[in-house]
Amino acid sequence: MTTISEIEAPAAVGAAAPKRRFDLRKVRWWRVAVLGVLGVYFVVPLAASFWFTVYDSHTRTFSLSPYGQIFSAPGFGTSVRMTVEVALLTIVILYALLVPAMIAVHLRLPKLRPVLESLAMVPLVLSPVALVVGIQTVLGWGLNQNPGTPLFQLAVDLQNQNFPLILPIVYVLIALPFAYRSLEAGLRAVDLRTLVEASRGLGASWPVTIWRAVLPNLRTGLLSGAILTLALVFGEYTISSILQFLPFSVWIVQDGQGATSGQLAPAVSLLSLLLSWAVLFLVSFLGGRRAVGRTDRSSS
Amino acid sequence: MIRLGKKLGAWGAVLPLLGYCAIALGLPVWALLWEGLQRPDPVTQKTTFTLWNLTTSWHGIYLTGLLTSLRLSLLTSVISAVIGLFAAYAIAQSRGRYFKQAILTASGVLANFGGIPLAFCFIATIGTGGVFLSWIQNLWPSFQIDTFNGLAVVYPYFLVPLMVLTTLPALDGLRTQWKEASTNLGGSSWQYWRHIGGPLLLPAALGGFVLCFGSAFAAYATARALTSGTVPLVTMQISSILSGNVIAGAGENNLGMALALNTIIICALMMAVYLPLRKRSAKWLES
Amino acid sequence: MHRIAKLACAAVAVTLAASACSSSKTTTSGSSTNWSTVTSATAGGGMDALVAAAKAEGTLNVITLPRTWANYGKIMDDFTAKYGIKINDANPNGSSGDEINAIEHDKGLSSAPDVVDVGNSHALPNTNLFADYEVSSWSDIPTALKDANGSWYGDYGGYISIACDASKVAPAPCPKTFADLINPSYVADYKGKVAMSGDPTSANAAFSAVWAAALSQSGGSLDNIAPGISYFAKLKANGEYNATVDTESTIESGSTPLTVDWEFNNSQFASDLKAKGIDLTVSIPTDGLYSAYYDQAVSKYAPHPAAARLWEEYLYSTTGQNDFMGGYARPVEFAAMQSAGTLDATDEKNLPSVSGTVNYPTATQLTTAQNAITSGWASALG
Repeated sequence: MTTISEIEAPAAVGAAAPKRRFDLRKVRWWRVAVLGVLGVYFVVPLAASFWFTVYDSHTRTFSLSPYGQIFSAPGFGTSVRMTVEVALLTIVILYALLVPAMIAVHLRLPKLRPVLESLAMVPLVLSPVALVVGIQTVLGWGLNQNPGTPLFQLAVDLQNQNFPLILPIVYVLIALPFAYRSLEAGLRAVDLRTLVEASRGLGASWPVTIWRAVLPNLRTGLLSGAILTLALVFGEYTISSILQFLPFSVWIVQDGQGATSGQLAPAVSLLSLLLSWAVLFLVSFLGGRRAVGRTDRSSS
Repeated sequence: MIRLGKKLGAWGAVLPLLGYCAIALGLPVWALLWEGLQRPDPVTQKTTFTLWNLTTSWHGIYLTGLLTSLRLSLLTSVISAVIGLFAAYAIAQSRGRYFKQAILTASGVLANFGGIPLAFCFIATIGTGGVFLSWIQNLWPSFQIDTFNGLAVVYPYFLVPLMVLTTLPALDGLRTQWKEASTNLGGSSWQYWRHIGGPLLLPAALGGFVLCFGSAFAAYATARALTSGTVPLVTMQISSILSGNVIAGAGENNLGMALALNTIIICALMMAVYLPLRKRSAKWLES
Repeated sequence: MHRIAKLACAAVAVTLAASACSSSKTTTSGSSTNWSTVTSATAGGGMDALVAAAKAEGTLNVITLPRTWANYGKIMDDFTAKYGIKINDANPNGSSGDEINAIEHDKGLSSAPDVVDVGNSHALPNTNLFADYEVSSWSDIPTALKDANGSWYGDYGGYISIACDASKVAPAPCPKTFADLINPSYVADYKGKVAMSGDPTSANAAFSAVWAAALSQSGGSLDNIAPGISYFAKLKANGEYNATVDTESTIESGSTPLTVDWEFNNSQFASDLKAKGIDLTVSIPTDGLYSAYYDQAVSKYAPHPAAARLWEEYLYSTTGQNDFMGGYARPVEFAAMQSAGTLDATDEKNLPSVSGTVNYPTATQLTTAQNAITSGWASALG
């Protein structure tokens, strides 16, 4: 990420300044137009839904009461905690599997890249309903064994209500395409070979190389992959509800069940959107100051 | 000898991932195959292996569903990929760090937003009685949200953020210094994109497009909430059979599994098209 | 304590490759009756024995019971208050298909469903998954609405109804029949306003709505659902049909002021929306009388068999049946309770009036109709 730009660009900066200003002006208008139109597209439906939840057209009053009802419901904290735990475990397993594999493929086994790409596609195209019924069938096979056998016990423990291990196992698959893309984009922008050779040449072992030379340069990719995974786990509903677990997304639908007005359901979904965004926003700053988009060249 | 050691080491790093996928993905797919190729005889109720489920899934309404799904996914993923790419570029060019973080995380959340809540947002906006329906109908008289076109308008809501999410890191990696260097050397904008920016971006853009396609293809809850099955989509059909309230009976689940197998076939076809394209784009980078 | 013991057993089993630690699946500690094969309360030693055994089990697993559907919220709360048995409601927005899948795939899990409440289409083909049980008031359930062996039994149901928000369809009157809905003079006022409960290939209420429409057309019968599909195709061609799924939110927002749905859903909407000043009238169309009952069944592999059976007894008691009526559904023991005078008068008045008799489709008729809908719906309306 750092080496190429250092080699190519230092002289260019000063000389190009006047031309840059002109280009910037053109670019700025075009940027405003694109982002403006998209902003309208994304905000207006949310605003329309929000308006519906707070404005009562018959009594012509505003009220934020649908939102207040949500927090007081029991199980809010438990479900959020469970979801966060599941998400964290998913991210850990995902990167533990993915990072070494991708580095290995980039450096030594380029022929395997199509295999990895295909693997990263299948979970995406396979319908979640079909995947979960397949999983249910497999777990059912386990439960058909005699109680007391290890397979039976495994099938039971995977579906423990308080911390269902089966969820991270499945979510790793579903998040795989997204994490793969993010890491891939990150790896492309780094001169991996040079980095690794330099580090190994200086006597570092593999774990140290990965931990201190490679990973810091992959921060954007790693972080965006983690954010995607977190968002995915928070938003995932089909699989967890059919398997009868109660993470945040299922809980929030269940909570909207006590609705005595049609305003509660959209209020609940808007709130969950907002909450997920808030959590992600905060988490994204954990990645450190250089999380996204700085073009400085200093390595950590 | 050293090279062999290095190769073995590399394999050692890859095997956990492969093994994991083999089990976590392979087992359910195996279950789908196992059930999808069986069918209880309608008369004797004995279960036998047969291709009946698969062949049924390639005819009539199921074939229509598959083709409509493909059409919708291709259309919306192409539109969203293009828009998303431009949006990501616009965002990557901005200065504000908080702004970029906010957009990145918002994209993460919106990429997973779907189903009834998303449907309701759009119903409130451009559904019957929706605030902006008359505006839209001034531009597009025959527009209705509960049609194929309606879905095509709604799907980008989670596809564009997905595209932004996957291409923003790559666009961030494009240094402005490279653009300046190219300009200084006398190159035009077009040449910059053709020789520098494009080749660097293309793999990420292609990958993002493929993700959008997959995501559009697998979606069904939004479509169901908006169209109630009047637009046949294969994923909705799978859900109706395996997780519905109407279709039941011995052998129906097997048909559902066969439909799911079809989606895997589509995936294989998609990869068959995508992988050679990727190779080509990598070559472009080298040239 | 129990769970740690199980984990330890598994570890021992792995190392010694012995299955010496088989643990029992049911938690009927101290009880000598195996409740999972008991076919009636008397056979198990009487109601008191049942209550004691159920209390000892302490938990009941139900599945896909939304709290706002047919008053299940109140029923579950009252049951827990009366017996102290905790109820776990899994996947509350799930489908009958999910319930059957859960019974099939969750055998042996302590979270497996004990009882299910499924549509007739899912009860009839799956009797091999249910345990036979006859509640104390078995004879009060009409013969047509229960399985002869006691494998499944109707609990509540209703007719397909048309709900209408008069202010949103004015100046046209509210439609009372299927003929009204398609009346050419009202088409302009109903444009884009008629909705159902979703996809008839997947939602029971929508499937039944199409069938009810079929019955209102010539040539439509329990053997032939095709005229119903043509009816909705005509509605769509007129621009009246709105394919979005009707929910309380869409009615309140004015998007779907005309809904064809189960009467208990429509009446629940009406009662909830009254506070918002929306007056929803619910009528049962005289030209298309279609009624269906949902079925209760006890899972053969219920982890809490005594609690499951007690739950059934509760649902079929006068309290339980009246509670269903409180949720605007028609209890299956309606006729018997009417003769005995045990119907709750207020709740009874809340049910829309209906005249005429209905027949219920057989298993074959159901399958034929399902196939017709699957192949015909999207092509007729797409």
